Amino acid sequence: MSNFLLAWIVLIPFISSFIIGVMYLYSIKVARVPNFVFSLFGLSAPLLSFLLGFSFFLQMIGNDEIFLYKAYRWLEIDGYDIDMGFMADKLSIFMVLFITFVGWLIHIYASGYMKDDKGYGKFFFYFNFFLASMLLLVLGHGPIIMFMGWEGVGFSSYLLISYYYEDGENVKAGNKAFIANRVGDFGFIVAMVTMFYYAGSNGFDFLNLKESLLSVPVPVLTFIGFSLFVGAIGKSAQIPLFVWLPDAMAGPTPVSALIHAATMVTAGVYMVARFHFLYDLIPHVGLFIAYVGAISALFAAIIATKQTDIKKILAYSTMSQLGYMFIAVGLGGYSVGIFHVFTHAFFKALLFMGAGAVIVALHHEQNIFKMGGMKKKTPLVYFTMLIATLAISGIPPFAGFFSKDEILLTAFSSGEYLLWIIGVFTAILTAYYMFRLLFVVFYGKNYKEDKKLHFLPKSMTTPLVILAIGSILAGFIGIPELLGGENLIGSWLGNWKNSSLHVTHSTEIILMVINIFAALLGIFIAYKKFYMYDMKEVPIFTGIVWNKFYIDEIYDTLIVHKIKQLSIFISYKIDVHFIDKIVMGLSRGFIRSGHYIAKMQNANTRFYAFTMLIGISVISTYLIMVLR
Amino acid sequence: MIDIIFIVLSIIAISGAMGMILFSQTIYSALSLIVTILALAGVFALLSAPFLFMVQIIIYAGAIITLLLFIIMFLNIKDDNLPSEPNKMTTIFIGAALLLPFNILVLKAFYTLPSKPMHILGKDFGSINDFGMELFRSWLVPFELISMLLLAALIGAVVYARKEKAND
Amino acid sequence: MIDSLLAYITLAMILFSIGFLGVVSRKNIFVIYMSIELMLNAINLIFVSLGRYYESMQPQVIAMIIIAIAAAEAAVFLSLIVVLYRRKKSLNSDIFTILSQKDSHE
Repeated sequence: MSNFLLAWIVLIPFISSFIIGVMYLYSIKVARVPNFVFSLFGLSAPLLSFLLGFSFFLQMIGNDEIFLYKAYRWLEIDGYDIDMGFMADKLSIFMVLFITFVGWLIHIYASGYMKDDKGYGKFFFYFNFFLASMLLLVLGHGPIIMFMGWEGVGFSSYLLISYYYEDGENVKAGNKAFIANRVGDFGFIVAMVTMFYYAGSNGFDFLNLKESLLSVPVPVLTFIGFSLFVGAIGKSAQIPLFVWLPDAMAGPTPVSALIHAATMVTAGVYMVARFHFLYDLIPHVGLFIAYVGAISALFAAIIATKQTDIKKILAYSTMSQLGYMFIAVGLGGYSVGIFHVFTHAFFKALLFMGAGAVIVALHHEQNIFKMGGMKKKTPLVYFTMLIATLAISGIPPFAGFFSKDEILLTAFSSGEYLLWIIGVFTAILTAYYMFRLLFVVFYGKNYKEDKKLHFLPKSMTTPLVILAIGSILAGFIGIPELLGGENLIGSWLGNWKNSSLHVTHSTEIILMVINIFAALLGIFIAYKKFYMYDMKEVPIFTGIVWNKFYIDEIYDTLIVHKIKQLSIFISYKIDVHFIDKIVMGLSRGFIRSGHYIAKMQNANTRFYAFTMLIGISVISTYLIMVLR
Repeated sequence: MIDIIFIVLSIIAISGAMGMILFSQTIYSALSLIVTILALAGVFALLSAPFLFMVQIIIYAGAIITLLLFIIMFLNIKDDNLPSEPNKMTTIFIGAALLLPFNILVLKAFYTLPSKPMHILGKDFGSINDFGMELFRSWLVPFELISMLLLAALIGAVVYARKEKAND
Repeated sequence: MIDSLLAYITLAMILFSIGFLGVVSRKNIFVIYMSIELMLNAINLIFVSLGRYYESMQPQVIAMIIIAIAAAEAAVFLSLIVVLYRRKKSLNSDIFTILSQKDSHE
C-alpha cells in the first residue's frame, strides 16, 4: 500500500467534518437535513480512518518499518524548510488504532445521546474536527505538524465544552480550558523554537531531531524538555494547570468521554513518549515529570473522594490516571505509559458513557446522592459500569490491573520508592472513590421512585457492551511474563528503556499482591461506608477536600484577581488618563488644525496670490543665502 | 542721450504702473496702463526692436487696452459698485517687502553676466525683415497654433458673453 | 553706465513687482486684469532686452507670441468679467469666491 494513505487517515475526518459543517449551515439556513445524514458522515469517517490505520498496522507486524509521507513543502524559509508530512511508526499507529476505534464507539454513543439536540449536525462537525486534529497530532512527522493538531484539539475542545453556549457558565468553562491550554501551548512553542534554533538545520522532523539533538548541550536539552512538559501539563491536566478539566465536564457527556478521558488529555503523555529520544538524554527532567504525575494522581484522587457530581468524580479520576501515566513515561517506561493510555481509554470512555446513560435516564441529574437503585432499573449499564470500575480499581483480570501494576513496578524497580508509595496509596483511594460512586448510584435508595426513567436507545447501550468487552480484554495484550504471558505491547512498541526487567520474580509477585490488596482495601472501605446507602437527605459537604483544596480560589486571588486589577488599572488609569488623552488630543489637534487650514482654502484668488508671494519670498531668501 | 531717454521712459512707465494700482477709479487705472504701455513701446525701440515697438502701440495700446476701456465704459460702473479697499496700502507695503528678496535674487543673477553696451544697432539687426525670417523659419508651428488659440478665445468669448436665457 | 542690461532688467522687475502688488492688493477685478497685463509686459521687456544683449531675434518672436496670447486672454477675460458683472453687479473679486461652492448658480 502506498504511503499517501497516511494523509487520508487525517483527511477523511477533516473532509467529513467540513461536509457536515456545510450541511449543518444548509440545514439551519435553508432546509432541515435529517439527523441520519449527519450520522452517516459522522460515523463513517472514524470507521474509515480506523480501517486505514488497521491496514498500516497489519503491514507493520513483524518488521520495524516506518511509514513516511511528505505531502508537499509547506514553508520555505531560507534553508529551514518545513514539509507537510505524516509519519507512522509503531507508536503512532497504535495511538491511531485506539483513537479511531474508541472514537468511533463514542460517535455511535453520541448519535444516541445527542438525538434530540438542535445542534446535532454542529456537534458532529466539531466531533469529527476534533478527531481529525487528534489524528494529525498523532501522525505529524515533526513538531510543527504535531503542534497544528495540538492546537486543533485545543480549539475543538473549547468549542465542545461550551457547546451548550446558552448557559454562561459553560462558556466560562470553555474559556478556562482554552486559557489553561494556552499556558501549556506557550511552553510547547518555547520548546519548539529552542529546538528549531539549536537543532532545526538538518530538517525539523522527529527522525532528524533524534540525531541532531544528540549534539545539543544538556542545559539546553533540559530547558527544551521542561518547556515541552509544560505543554503536556496544560493538555493533560496535571498540577498546576489541571483546573480546567473538572469544569470541562460542562460539555455533553460524549465530549467528556472522547476528549477528556480517552484521547485529548492523553496527548501530553503521547508527546512525552514521542519525544522519548529527548527525555532519554535528560533523566532528571523525567524524574521531575514522574513526581508531578504522582502528586497530581494523589491530589486528584483525594479531591475525588468528596465530590458529588458524577462527571466531576470521573474527571478527577481521569486526572489521577493521567498522573499514573506520567509516572511511567517520566521514569522511562514509555511503553508502560502508553499501555495505560490504551487501557484507560477503554474503561474511562466506558465509565463516562455509563455515567452519561445514567444521567440521561434520570433526566439530566448529575448529583450522585440524588441517584440510587439504578442496578435494577438499568442492569446493562450497571454491569458495564461494574466492569469499568473494577478495571480502574485494578482488580485482575480487568484491563486496569495490568497496566497499573506495570506502572507501579516501573516505579519500584527504578528505585523511586516514594513514587511507588504514592502510587499504591492512590490506588487505594481510586478503588474507594470509584466504588463509592458505584454503590451510591446503583445500590443506594435515594432515587424517588415516582419519576419515570428516560429511555436509553440501542445506539447508547451497544457501545457500552463493546467497551466493556474491551475493558476486560485490553489488559491481556500486556500480561507480564511472570504470569506466563507475553508483553505484546512492550515488544510492539520496541526496545525502549524499560527498567521493570531488573527485579526478581518474587518481588514482582509481592508487588502485585500488594496492589490487589490495595484495591480490595479501597473497595472494602467504600463497601462499609456506602453499601446500601440510603441517606434521605442529600449530604452537604464542607471542608478543605470538598472545596478542592481551594485551588480555584487560590488561582483566583493569586493570578486572576491580580491580572484583573492590573487590567482595571490599565484600562481605567493608564488608558483613560494617558493613552486616551494623547490619542484624543491628537485627533482634536488634527480637527482644529484642519479647521484652520481649511480656512486657507477659501477660493479667494487674492489670498492665493498672497500665499504664493510668501512662498516666492521664502524660496528667494533661501536661494540668495545658498547661491553666494 | 540714450541714457536720458531711457530714464525718462522708465519714470513714465513706473509712474503709470503706480497710478494703475493706486487709482480707485477703474477708468483712471486703465488710462495709466496705456501710459505705461506706450512708455514700454519706447523702451522696445531703444532695444532695436522696431517691430515690437509698433505691435506694442498698435495692438496693445490700440486694441487690447482700448477694448478694456470700451468694456469699462460699456458696463457703466458706478462708484457704489466699486469694492471698498481699505487695506490697499498696507497690503502693498507688505507685498513690496515680501517681493524684495525675489527682485534681489533676479538682479543678482543678471549681475553675473558681463556688462555690454546696449545702444541701438544698425540696420543689420531687428528689422522687420529679420523678424519675419525668424518667425517663419523657426517659429512657424507656434505661430499657426496661436491662430488656433485666438480662434478658441474668440469662440469662448462669444459663448460667455451672449445674452443669457431668462430662465437660466 | 545706465544704459546696460541690468538697467533694463531692473525696470522690468520694478514693473513686474508693481503688477504683482496690484494682483495681491486690489479687489477691483479690472485692476487685477490690468496688473496681469503689466506683468506680461515686464516679461516681454526682459525677453527683448536679453535678445538685444545676445543679438538674437528669437526673444522678439516670443514677445510677439506673448502679446498675441495677451490678446486672446483679453477677449476671454473681459467677456467673463462682463458675465460676472451682469450677475453680481460688483467688481469685487472676493465675491467670486462663491464659485467654489457646489451650488453657486443662484
